[in-house]
Amino acid sequence: MSLARTNIPPVINITNLHKRFGNLEVLKGIDLDIYQSEVVCLIGPSGSGKSTLLRCINFLESYEQGLVKINEEPMGFVEMYDGTLRKAPAARVLESRRDLGMVFQHFNLWPHMNVLENVTEALRSVKLRPRDKAEAKGKAMLEKVGLGDKLDSYPANLSGGQQQRVAIARALAMDPSIMLFDEPTSALDPELVGDVLAVMRSLAAEGMTMVIVTHEMGFAMDVADRVVFMEDGKIVEQGDPKTLFNAPKSPRLAAFLSSWNRRTNS
Amino acid sequence: MNFSVLEAYQGAILGGLGTTIYICALSIALGLVLGLAIELVRQELPWMRMPCRIYVEFFRGSPILIQIFLIYYAGPHFGLLLSPVTAGVVGLSLYGAAYYAEIFRSGFEAVPKGQIEAAECLGISPSRVLWRIKLPQMTALVLPPLVNQSIILIKDSAVLSVITVPELTKQTSKIINETFTIAEPLLVLALLYWALVEGLSRLGRFLETRMNRHITSSAGRTS
Repeated sequence: MSLARTNIPPVINITNLHKRFGNLEVLKGIDLDIYQSEVVCLIGPSGSGKSTLLRCINFLESYEQGLVKINEEPMGFVEMYDGTLRKAPAARVLESRRDLGMVFQHFNLWPHMNVLENVTEALRSVKLRPRDKAEAKGKAMLEKVGLGDKLDSYPANLSGGQQQRVAIARALAMDPSIMLFDEPTSALDPELVGDVLAVMRSLAAEGMTMVIVTHEMGFAMDVADRVVFMEDGKIVEQGDPKTLFNAPKSPRLAAFLSSWNRRTNS
Repeated sequence: MNFSVLEAYQGAILGGLGTTIYICALSIALGLVLGLAIELVRQELPWMRMPCRIYVEFFRGSPILIQIFLIYYAGPHFGLLLSPVTAGVVGLSLYGAAYYAEIFRSGFEAVPKGQIEAAECLGISPSRVLWRIKLPQMTALVLPPLVNQSIILIKDSAVLSVITVPELTKQTSKIINETFTIAEPLLVLALLYWALVEGLSRLGRFLETRMNRHITSSAGRTS
Protein backbone atom coordinates (compact mmCIF):
# COMPACT_ATOMS: atom_id res chain seq x y z
CA MET A 1 0.00 0.00 0.00
CA SER A 2 1.42 3.26 -1.02
CA LEU A 3 -1.17 5.43 0.70
CA ALA A 4 1.60 6.63 2.97
CA ARG A 5 2.97 8.70 0.15
CA THR A 6 -0.30 10.45 -0.55
CA ASN A 7 -1.60 13.07 1.82
CA ILE A 8 -4.40 10.97 3.27
CA PRO A 9 -3.81 10.72 7.02
CA PRO A 10 -3.62 7.26 8.60
CA VAL A 11 -6.76 5.94 10.34
CA ILE A 12 -4.57 4.55 13.11
CA ASN A 13 -1.51 6.53 14.07
CA ILE A 14 0.73 5.13 16.79
CA THR A 15 3.77 7.08 17.92
CA ASN A 16 6.45 6.03 20.36
CA LEU A 17 4.11 3.78 22.34
CA HIS A 18 5.46 2.42 25.63
CA LYS A 19 3.55 0.06 27.88
CA ARG A 20 4.62 -1.47 31.17
CA PHE A 21 3.12 -4.18 33.35
CA GLY A 22 4.82 -3.40 36.64
CA ASN A 23 8.54 -3.68 35.99
CA LEU A 24 8.08 -5.47 32.71
CA GLU A 25 8.15 -3.24 29.65
CA VAL A 26 6.04 -5.03 27.04
CA LEU A 27 5.99 -2.30 24.40
CA LYS A 28 9.24 -0.44 23.91
CA GLY A 29 8.46 2.41 21.57
CA ILE A 30 6.10 1.36 18.79
CA ASP A 31 5.58 3.58 15.74
CA LEU A 32 2.96 2.35 13.31
CA ASP A 33 0.59 3.99 10.83
CA ILE A 34 -2.32 2.09 9.36
CA TYR A 35 -4.29 3.46 6.42
CA GLN A 36 -7.86 3.18 5.24
CA SER A 37 -8.75 -0.28 3.88
CA GLU A 38 -5.38 -1.69 4.80
CA VAL A 39 -5.17 -5.22 6.18
CA VAL A 40 -2.27 -5.47 8.60
CA CYS A 41 -1.24 -8.73 10.25
CA LEU A 42 0.82 -8.60 13.44
CA ILE A 43 2.99 -11.69 13.84
CA GLY A 44 5.69 -12.67 16.27
CA PRO A 45 6.51 -15.09 19.07
CA SER A 46 4.23 -15.14 22.10
CA GLY A 47 5.18 -12.47 24.58
CA SER A 48 6.36 -10.15 21.82
CA GLY A 49 3.66 -7.60 22.71
CA LYS A 50 1.43 -7.92 19.64
CA SER A 51 -1.78 -8.55 21.59
CA THR A 52 -0.93 -5.76 24.00
CA LEU A 53 -0.39 -3.41 21.08
CA LEU A 54 -3.82 -4.33 19.73
CA ARG A 55 -5.39 -3.76 23.16
CA CYS A 56 -3.70 -0.37 23.42
CA ILE A 57 -5.28 0.64 20.11
CA ASN A 58 -8.78 0.50 21.62
CA PHE A 59 -7.52 1.46 25.07
CA LEU A 60 -8.42 -1.80 26.77
CA GLU A 61 -4.91 -1.25 28.09
CA SER A 62 -3.70 2.20 28.98
CA TYR A 63 -0.13 3.18 28.25
CA GLU A 64 2.61 5.18 29.91
CA GLN A 65 4.14 7.03 27.02
CA GLY A 66 3.41 7.82 23.40
CA LEU A 67 0.02 8.18 21.77
CA VAL A 68 -2.53 6.26 19.73
CA LYS A 69 -4.73 8.30 17.43
CA ILE A 70 -7.82 6.90 15.74
CA ASN A 71 -9.02 9.01 12.81
CA GLU A 72 -6.74 11.76 14.11
CA GLU A 73 -8.37 11.80 17.56
CA PRO A 74 -6.25 10.73 20.54
CA MET A 75 -7.48 7.47 22.06
CA GLY A 76 -7.94 7.50 25.83
CA PHE A 77 -6.66 11.05 26.13
CA VAL A 78 -8.01 14.51 25.46
CA GLU A 79 -5.77 17.05 23.78
CA MET A 80 -5.82 20.38 25.63
CA TYR A 81 -5.53 23.73 23.88
CA ASP A 82 -1.89 24.00 24.85
CA GLY A 83 -1.19 20.61 23.28
CA THR A 84 -0.84 18.68 26.54
CA LEU A 85 -2.75 15.46 27.08
CA ARG A 86 -5.18 14.65 29.86
CA LYS A 87 -6.63 11.25 30.60
CA ALA A 88 -10.05 11.07 28.96
CA PRO A 89 -13.12 10.36 31.12
CA ALA A 90 -14.51 6.84 30.81
CA ALA A 91 -17.56 7.97 28.82
CA ARG A 92 -15.29 9.62 26.26
CA VAL A 93 -13.26 6.43 25.88
CA LEU A 94 -16.45 4.47 25.23
CA GLU A 95 -17.37 7.00 22.56
CA SER A 96 -13.94 6.86 20.91
CA ARG A 97 -14.24 3.10 20.61
CA ARG A 98 -17.23 3.39 18.30
CA ASP A 99 -15.07 3.31 15.18
CA LEU A 100 -13.37 0.15 16.38
CA GLY A 101 -14.71 -3.39 16.34
CA MET A 102 -12.88 -5.98 18.41
CA VAL A 103 -12.81 -9.76 18.08
CA PHE A 104 -11.20 -11.81 20.83
CA GLN A 105 -9.42 -15.13 20.92
CA HIS A 106 -12.03 -16.60 23.25
CA PHE A 107 -15.04 -14.95 21.52
CA ASN A 108 -16.37 -13.52 24.80
CA LEU A 109 -19.99 -13.95 23.84
CA TRP A 110 -22.55 -13.43 26.59
CA PRO A 111 -23.75 -16.96 27.40
CA HIS A 112 -27.11 -15.92 28.88
CA MET A 113 -28.22 -14.20 25.67
CA ASN A 114 -29.09 -15.93 22.44
CA VAL A 115 -27.21 -15.23 19.24
CA LEU A 116 -29.49 -12.45 18.06
CA GLU A 117 -29.49 -10.79 21.50
CA ASN A 118 -25.70 -10.90 21.56
CA VAL A 119 -25.59 -9.07 18.25
CA THR A 120 -28.34 -6.53 19.01
CA GLU A 121 -27.46 -5.67 22.63
CA ALA A 122 -25.12 -2.79 21.78
CA LEU A 123 -27.41 -1.54 19.00
CA ARG A 124 -30.19 -1.26 21.55
CA SER A 125 -28.25 0.06 24.53
CA VAL A 126 -25.60 2.22 22.84
CA LYS A 127 -27.19 3.30 19.58
CA LEU A 128 -30.69 3.23 21.13
CA ARG A 129 -32.20 1.53 18.09
CA PRO A 130 -35.77 0.30 18.53
CA ARG A 131 -36.10 -3.45 18.79
CA ASP A 132 -37.32 -4.12 15.24
CA LYS A 133 -34.57 -2.01 13.64
CA ALA A 134 -31.90 -3.58 15.80
CA GLU A 135 -33.14 -7.08 15.03
CA ALA A 136 -33.25 -6.43 11.30
CA LYS A 137 -29.68 -5.21 11.42
CA GLY A 138 -28.62 -8.10 13.65
CA LYS A 139 -30.17 -10.63 11.28
CA ALA A 140 -28.42 -9.05 8.32
CA MET A 141 -25.07 -9.23 10.11
CA LEU A 142 -25.61 -12.87 11.08
CA GLU A 143 -26.54 -13.74 7.52
CA LYS A 144 -23.37 -12.08 6.39
CA VAL A 145 -21.29 -14.43 8.55
CA GLY A 146 -23.35 -17.43 7.43
CA LEU A 147 -25.38 -17.90 10.61
CA GLY A 148 -28.77 -16.61 9.53
CA ASP A 149 -30.31 -19.89 10.74
CA LYS A 150 -28.91 -19.69 14.30
CA LEU A 151 -30.66 -16.58 15.60
CA ASP A 152 -32.30 -18.35 18.56
CA SER A 153 -29.37 -20.58 19.49
CA TYR A 154 -27.37 -19.95 22.61
CA PRO A 155 -23.56 -19.68 22.49
CA ALA A 156 -23.14 -22.93 24.43
CA ASN A 157 -24.82 -24.83 21.61
CA LEU A 158 -22.57 -23.49 18.86
CA SER A 159 -19.19 -24.70 17.72
CA GLY A 160 -16.18 -22.50 18.39
CA GLY A 161 -16.09 -21.40 14.78
CA GLN A 162 -19.76 -20.43 14.87
CA GLN A 163 -19.27 -18.57 18.14
CA GLN A 164 -16.41 -16.61 16.66
CA ARG A 165 -18.53 -15.67 13.66
CA VAL A 166 -21.26 -14.46 15.99
CA ALA A 167 -18.61 -12.36 17.74
CA ILE A 168 -17.61 -10.90 14.37
CA ALA A 169 -21.26 -10.14 13.54
CA ARG A 170 -21.65 -8.51 16.97
CA ALA A 171 -18.74 -6.18 16.24
CA LEU A 172 -19.87 -5.46 12.67
CA ALA A 173 -23.39 -4.53 13.79
CA MET A 174 -22.00 -1.29 15.22
CA ASP A 175 -20.66 -0.25 11.80
CA PRO A 176 -17.03 0.16 12.84
CA SER A 177 -14.62 1.58 10.31
CA ILE A 178 -11.76 -0.51 11.71
CA MET A 179 -11.79 -4.11 12.90
CA LEU A 180 -9.26 -5.46 15.39
CA PHE A 181 -8.75 -9.22 15.67
CA ASP A 182 -6.83 -10.73 18.58
CA GLU A 183 -5.79 -14.24 17.51
CA PRO A 184 -9.31 -14.97 16.25
CA THR A 185 -8.61 -18.57 15.27
CA SER A 186 -6.14 -19.65 17.97
CA ALA A 187 -8.80 -21.22 20.19
CA LEU A 188 -10.48 -23.12 17.37
CA ASP A 189 -10.22 -26.73 16.29
CA PRO A 190 -8.28 -26.81 13.00
CA GLU A 191 -11.29 -27.85 10.92
CA LEU A 192 -13.25 -24.79 12.13
CA VAL A 193 -10.60 -22.22 11.30
CA GLY A 194 -11.51 -22.03 7.63
CA ASP A 195 -15.05 -20.64 8.13
CA VAL A 196 -13.78 -17.80 10.31
CA LEU A 197 -10.97 -16.95 7.92
CA ALA A 198 -13.43 -16.95 5.01
CA VAL A 199 -15.55 -14.33 6.78
CA MET A 200 -12.45 -12.24 7.46
CA ARG A 201 -11.37 -12.59 3.83
CA SER A 202 -14.69 -11.26 2.58
CA LEU A 203 -14.47 -8.34 5.01
CA ALA A 204 -11.03 -7.50 3.67
CA ALA A 205 -12.38 -7.69 0.11
CA GLU A 206 -15.09 -5.17 1.06
CA GLY A 207 -12.38 -2.71 2.02
CA MET A 208 -12.61 -2.96 5.81
CA THR A 209 -9.51 -1.68 7.61
CA MET A 210 -8.26 -4.62 9.65
CA VAL A 211 -5.53 -5.19 12.21
CA ILE A 212 -5.06 -8.88 12.92
CA VAL A 213 -2.87 -10.56 15.48
CA THR A 214 -2.45 -14.03 14.05
CA HIS A 215 -0.42 -17.19 13.82
CA GLU A 216 -2.03 -18.10 10.49
CA MET A 217 0.88 -17.41 8.17
CA GLY A 218 -0.95 -18.73 5.13
CA PHE A 219 -3.81 -16.33 5.77
CA ALA A 220 -1.41 -13.43 6.32
CA MET A 221 0.33 -14.29 3.06
CA ASP A 222 -3.00 -14.30 1.17
CA VAL A 223 -4.91 -11.45 2.66
CA ALA A 224 -2.56 -9.00 4.36
CA ASP A 225 -1.42 -5.84 2.61
CA ARG A 226 1.31 -5.58 5.18
CA VAL A 227 2.80 -7.90 7.76
CA VAL A 228 4.40 -6.49 10.88
CA PHE A 229 6.84 -8.72 12.76
CA MET A 230 7.23 -7.94 16.44
CA GLU A 231 9.63 -9.30 18.96
CA ASP A 232 10.43 -8.26 22.50
CA GLY A 233 8.15 -5.22 22.47
CA LYS A 234 9.48 -3.75 19.24
CA ILE A 235 8.64 -3.82 15.57
CA VAL A 236 11.54 -5.69 14.05
CA GLU A 237 10.53 -5.74 10.41
CA GLN A 238 7.50 -4.97 8.26
CA GLY A 239 6.54 -5.07 4.64
CA ASP A 240 4.31 -6.77 2.09
CA PRO A 241 3.86 -10.43 2.96
CA LYS A 242 5.59 -11.95 -0.06
CA THR A 243 8.81 -10.03 0.43
CA LEU A 244 8.70 -10.46 4.18
CA PHE A 245 8.10 -14.22 4.14
CA ASN A 246 10.37 -15.04 1.22
CA ALA A 247 13.27 -12.73 1.96
CA PRO A 248 13.33 -11.76 5.65
CA LYS A 249 15.99 -9.15 6.29
CA SER A 250 16.45 -9.61 10.01
CA PRO A 251 17.87 -12.86 11.41
CA ARG A 252 15.17 -12.87 14.10
CA LEU A 253 12.34 -12.95 11.59
CA ALA A 254 14.19 -15.62 9.61
CA ALA A 255 14.50 -17.71 12.78
CA PHE A 256 10.82 -17.18 13.63
CA LEU A 257 9.70 -18.19 10.13
CA SER A 258 11.91 -21.27 10.01
CA SER A 259 10.65 -22.49 13.39
CA TRP A 260 7.12 -21.95 12.15
CA ASN A 261 7.87 -23.88 8.94
CA ARG A 262 9.36 -26.73 10.91
CA ARG A 263 6.21 -26.91 13.04
CA THR A 264 3.78 -26.96 10.14
CA ASN A 265 5.79 -29.39 8.04
CA SER A 266 6.31 -31.95 10.77
CA MET B 1 -46.17 -39.36 72.46
CA ASN B 2 -49.39 -37.46 72.79
CA PHE B 3 -49.93 -34.75 70.23
CA SER B 4 -53.54 -34.08 71.23
CA VAL B 5 -52.45 -31.38 73.73
CA LEU B 6 -51.29 -29.35 70.79
CA GLU B 7 -54.73 -29.22 69.21
CA ALA B 8 -55.78 -26.39 71.51
CA TYR B 9 -52.69 -24.45 70.41
CA GLN B 10 -53.11 -24.77 66.67
CA GLY B 11 -53.81 -21.07 66.35
CA ALA B 12 -50.72 -20.10 68.33
CA ILE B 13 -48.51 -22.41 66.27
CA LEU B 14 -49.88 -21.19 62.96
CA GLY B 15 -49.57 -17.59 64.14
CA GLY B 16 -45.96 -18.20 65.09
CA LEU B 17 -45.30 -19.85 61.76
CA GLY B 18 -46.82 -16.85 59.99
CA THR B 19 -44.68 -14.42 61.98
CA THR B 20 -41.53 -16.44 61.26
CA ILE B 21 -42.32 -16.52 57.53
CA TYR B 22 -43.11 -12.81 57.51
CA ILE B 23 -39.96 -11.84 59.40
CA CYS B 24 -37.69 -14.12 57.39
CA ALA B 25 -39.10 -13.09 54.02
CA LEU B 26 -38.70 -9.44 54.89
CA SER B 27 -35.21 -9.91 56.35
CA ILE B 28 -34.01 -11.96 53.39
CA ALA B 29 -35.36 -9.37 50.93
CA LEU B 30 -33.88 -6.42 52.82
CA GLY B 31 -30.64 -8.29 53.45
CA LEU B 32 -30.26 -9.10 49.76
CA VAL B 33 -30.86 -5.48 48.73
CA LEU B 34 -28.48 -4.16 51.38
CA GLY B 35 -25.87 -6.82 50.63
CA LEU B 36 -25.90 -6.04 46.93
CA ALA B 37 -25.78 -2.32 47.71
CA ILE B 38 -22.72 -2.84 49.94
CA GLU B 39 -20.97 -4.81 47.22
CA LEU B 40 -21.77 -2.23 44.52
CA VAL B 41 -20.74 0.68 46.72
CA ARG B 42 -17.37 -0.84 47.55
CA GLN B 43 -16.79 -1.71 43.89
CA GLU B 44 -17.52 1.80 42.71
CA LEU B 45 -16.21 3.97 45.55
CA PRO B 46 -12.71 3.11 46.76
CA TRP B 47 -13.04 5.31 49.86
CA MET B 48 -16.06 3.27 51.00
CA ARG B 49 -14.09 0.03 51.01
CA MET B 50 -12.88 0.34 54.60
CA PRO B 51 -16.30 1.23 56.12
CA CYS B 52 -17.89 -1.64 54.17
CA ARG B 53 -15.22 -4.00 55.34
CA ILE B 54 -15.68 -2.99 58.96
CA TYR B 55 -19.42 -3.53 58.58
CA VAL B 56 -18.99 -7.00 57.09
CA GLU B 57 -16.35 -8.03 59.61
CA PHE B 58 -18.45 -6.82 62.55
CA PHE B 59 -21.64 -8.61 61.56
CA ARG B 60 -19.81 -11.78 60.62
CA GLY B 61 -17.57 -11.60 63.64
CA SER B 62 -20.12 -11.38 66.45
CA PRO B 63 -22.95 -13.74 67.43
CA ILE B 64 -26.39 -12.91 66.07
CA LEU B 65 -27.74 -13.09 69.63
CA ILE B 66 -25.46 -10.26 70.73
CA GLN B 67 -26.41 -8.19 67.67
CA ILE B 68 -30.10 -8.60 68.45
CA PHE B 69 -29.47 -7.66 72.10
CA LEU B 70 -27.51 -4.61 70.99
CA ILE B 71 -30.32 -3.42 68.76
CA TYR B 72 -33.21 -4.20 71.10
CA TYR B 73 -31.78 -3.59 74.58
CA ALA B 74 -28.88 -1.21 73.92
CA GLY B 75 -30.68 0.64 71.12
CA PRO B 76 -32.80 2.78 73.47
CA HIS B 77 -29.58 4.17 74.99
CA PHE B 78 -28.87 5.67 71.61
CA GLY B 79 -32.41 6.83 70.99
CA LEU B 80 -33.32 3.76 68.98
CA LEU B 81 -36.66 2.49 70.25
CA LEU B 82 -37.88 -0.41 68.17
CA SER B 83 -40.68 -2.90 68.61
CA PRO B 84 -39.49 -6.51 69.01
CA VAL B 85 -40.56 -7.42 65.47
CA THR B 86 -38.88 -4.37 63.93
CA ALA B 87 -35.73 -4.91 65.95
CA GLY B 88 -35.73 -8.54 64.81
CA VAL B 89 -36.13 -7.67 61.15
CA VAL B 90 -33.45 -4.98 61.38
CA GLY B 91 -31.07 -7.35 63.17
CA LEU B 92 -31.55 -10.26 60.77
CA SER B 93 -31.30 -7.97 57.72
CA LEU B 94 -28.07 -6.34 58.87
CA TYR B 95 -26.61 -9.72 59.77
CA GLY B 96 -27.72 -11.37 56.52
CA ALA B 97 -26.47 -8.44 54.42
CA ALA B 98 -22.90 -8.97 55.61
CA TYR B 99 -22.91 -12.54 54.35
CA TYR B 100 -24.85 -11.74 51.19
CA ALA B 101 -22.36 -8.99 50.31
CA GLU B 102 -19.52 -11.50 50.42
CA ILE B 103 -21.48 -13.93 48.25
CA PHE B 104 -22.20 -11.17 45.71
CA ARG B 105 -18.53 -10.28 45.67
CA SER B 106 -17.49 -13.80 44.74
CA GLY B 107 -20.26 -13.80 42.11
CA PHE B 108 -18.99 -10.64 40.45
CA GLU B 109 -15.46 -12.01 40.46
CA ALA B 110 -16.66 -15.13 38.67
CA VAL B 111 -18.10 -13.30 35.64
CA PRO B 112 -15.40 -13.73 32.98
CA LYS B 113 -13.47 -10.53 32.44
CA GLY B 114 -13.45 -11.06 28.69
CA GLN B 115 -17.22 -10.64 28.55
CA ILE B 116 -16.95 -7.27 30.25
CA GLU B 117 -14.20 -6.23 27.86
CA ALA B 118 -16.33 -7.27 24.90
CA ALA B 119 -19.09 -5.01 26.20
CA GLU B 120 -16.69 -2.12 26.76
CA CYS B 121 -15.36 -2.51 23.24
CA LEU B 122 -18.89 -2.05 21.93
CA GLY B 123 -19.27 1.16 23.93
CA ILE B 124 -21.78 -0.26 26.43
CA SER B 125 -21.91 1.87 29.59
CA PRO B 126 -20.92 0.46 33.00
CA SER B 127 -24.46 0.62 34.40
CA ARG B 128 -25.83 -1.23 31.41
CA VAL B 129 -23.01 -3.80 31.68
CA LEU B 130 -24.06 -4.32 35.29
CA TRP B 131 -27.75 -4.85 34.47
CA ARG B 132 -27.48 -6.77 31.24
CA ILE B 133 -24.31 -8.82 31.64
CA LYS B 134 -22.94 -8.99 35.17
CA LEU B 135 -26.15 -9.35 37.21
CA PRO B 136 -27.96 -11.94 35.06
CA GLN B 137 -24.92 -14.22 34.98
CA MET B 138 -23.96 -13.60 38.54
CA THR B 139 -27.46 -14.42 39.75
CA ALA B 140 -27.18 -17.94 38.37
CA LEU B 141 -23.78 -18.35 40.00
CA VAL B 142 -24.67 -17.00 43.43
CA LEU B 143 -28.09 -18.57 43.73
CA PRO B 144 -26.97 -21.77 45.54
CA PRO B 145 -24.87 -19.94 48.18
CA LEU B 146 -27.63 -17.31 48.60
CA VAL B 147 -30.20 -20.05 49.25
CA ASN B 148 -27.80 -21.67 51.67
CA GLN B 149 -27.27 -18.44 53.57
CA SER B 150 -31.01 -17.77 53.64
CA ILE B 151 -31.61 -21.22 55.14
CA ILE B 152 -29.17 -20.32 57.90
CA LEU B 153 -31.02 -17.04 58.39
CA ILE B 154 -34.37 -18.83 58.76
CA LYS B 155 -32.94 -21.08 61.42
CA ASP B 156 -31.22 -18.17 63.17
CA SER B 157 -34.54 -16.35 63.35
CA ALA B 158 -35.33 -18.62 66.33
CA VAL B 159 -33.04 -16.33 68.31
CA LEU B 160 -35.70 -13.61 68.12
CA SER B 161 -37.71 -15.54 70.72
CA VAL B 162 -35.43 -14.05 73.39
CA ILE B 163 -36.64 -10.53 72.61
CA THR B 164 -40.29 -11.69 72.81
CA VAL B 165 -41.03 -11.71 69.09
CA PRO B 166 -44.10 -13.98 68.84
CA GLU B 167 -42.50 -16.24 66.26
CA LEU B 168 -42.48 -20.00 66.02
CA THR B 169 -39.93 -20.74 68.74
CA LYS B 170 -41.43 -18.23 71.15
CA GLN B 171 -44.94 -19.66 70.68
CA THR B 172 -43.63 -23.17 71.19
CA SER B 173 -41.84 -22.33 74.41
CA LYS B 174 -45.08 -20.74 75.64
CA ILE B 175 -46.91 -24.00 74.94
CA ILE B 176 -44.22 -25.93 76.81
CA ASN B 177 -44.57 -23.62 79.79
CA GLU B 178 -48.35 -23.86 79.84
CA THR B 179 -48.82 -27.59 79.17
CA PHE B 180 -45.64 -29.04 80.64
CA THR B 181 -45.29 -31.23 77.55
CA ILE B 182 -41.84 -30.93 76.07
CA ALA B 183 -41.06 -33.50 73.40
CA GLU B 184 -44.15 -33.05 71.24
CA PRO B 185 -44.05 -29.27 70.80
CA LEU B 186 -40.30 -29.33 70.17
CA LEU B 187 -40.65 -32.06 67.59
CA VAL B 188 -43.37 -30.14 65.79
CA LEU B 189 -41.21 -27.01 65.99
CA ALA B 190 -38.24 -28.75 64.38
CA LEU B 191 -40.42 -30.25 61.65
CA LEU B 192 -41.94 -26.87 60.83
CA TYR B 193 -38.50 -25.24 60.45
CA TRP B 194 -37.49 -28.17 58.30
CA ALA B 195 -40.57 -27.68 56.11
CA LEU B 196 -39.75 -23.98 55.69
CA VAL B 197 -36.16 -24.72 54.78
CA GLU B 198 -37.17 -27.50 52.39
CA GLY B 199 -39.62 -25.16 50.66
CA LEU B 200 -36.93 -22.52 50.20
CA SER B 201 -34.36 -24.96 48.88
CA ARG B 202 -36.89 -26.35 46.40
CA LEU B 203 -37.60 -22.82 45.19
CA GLY B 204 -33.84 -22.34 44.88
CA ARG B 205 -33.39 -25.49 42.81
CA PHE B 206 -36.27 -24.51 40.56
CA LEU B 207 -34.79 -21.06 39.91
CA GLU B 208 -31.36 -22.53 39.41
CA THR B 209 -32.42 -24.90 36.64
CA ARG B 210 -34.39 -22.11 35.01
CA MET B 211 -31.47 -19.72 35.03
CA ASN B 212 -28.89 -22.23 33.94
CA ARG B 213 -30.88 -23.72 31.12
CA HIS B 214 -28.75 -22.05 28.43
CA ILE B 215 -25.45 -22.05 30.23
CA THR B 216 -25.13 -25.57 31.63
CA SER B 217 -24.38 -27.22 28.33
CA SER B 218 -21.22 -25.13 28.15
CA ALA B 219 -19.95 -26.39 31.49
CA GLY B 220 -16.48 -27.73 31.09
CA ARG B 221 -16.22 -26.36 27.58
CA THR B 222 -13.99 -23.36 27.23
CA SER B 223 -14.05 -22.76 23.53
